[in-house]
Amino acid sequence: MRPAPAEGEPALVERARAGDRDAFEELVRRHADRLYAVVLRFVADGDEAQEVTQEAFLRAWRSIPRFEGRSAFFTWLYRIGINEAKRRAARRPPIHVASLEDEPVPEAPDWSEAPETRSDQQDLRRVLEEAIRSLPLEYRGPIVLRDVEGLSTREAAEVMELGEAAFKSRLHRARLAVRRAIDEYFLEAEL
Amino acid sequence: MIRRLLERRRFMREHRWTHAHLSGYLDQDLDPGERERVEEHVGLCPQCRRVLATLRRTLADLRDLAAAPRPNLADGIVDRLRDEG
Repeated sequence: MRPAPAEGEPALVERARAGDRDAFEELVRRHADRLYAVVLRFVADGDEAQEVTQEAFLRAWRSIPRFEGRSAFFTWLYRIGINEAKRRAARRPPIHVASLEDEPVPEAPDWSEAPETRSDQQDLRRVLEEAIRSLPLEYRGPIVLRDVEGLSTREAAEVMELGEAAFKSRLHRARLAVRRAIDEYFLEAEL
Repeated sequence: MIRRLLERRRFMREHRWTHAHLSGYLDQDLDPGERERVEEHVGLCPQCRRVLATLRRTLADLRDLAAAPRPNLADGIVDRLRDEG
């Protein structure tokens, strides 16, 4: 049965659990873009992110009869997506990840109110993307889920399968590391 | 001399504590006493003031970092699901 456009998610999930593929396809349409945006930050490029998103939904479809609804559907789905992305990352040759640099750069200027032209915005976006990608995976998840994708702390901690205290600690260090990368960018721009 | 040393030690203790709680402060996750503790130290410490201001800006910039959507993504997934039968 094709779902009504405004059908609630719990009802869709329940029908999908019972094997209703139309209901699951509606869940795909509702969540594909956001899942793609999350996994994009864990893989090499957009093509791989598309493959991982696809694989995550296929795994979710196969496992949904066992989904018990203890967490929201999307937190369960994000967990599958991130685990799939990590599996792929583990297959690549290991890359050296520097230890997390999160202390402020002492000589950096205060850029908190730096005006932004269009080209500044593009540069800053590039710096932010690179800073996120250079974070170890266990720090990358918290900042992508909480600060980029806007999940609540509780939701994001659930996706990462962490207690809230451990999650907040990793999130804080990840934020400081990204902030430091912008310190370095503005310091270089001044020289 | 001893008083100055003790003040310095207290300042550094507050500095470390504040540095560790800046995210909690920005997320409105501290109780009133803790918020006051952060604000008091930030008022005295130019480095923590700068880190707090730039961290606030970092969070605002991260919120604007939306990924461009992938064309026909959902349709492709639905096709794969149907292929799987």
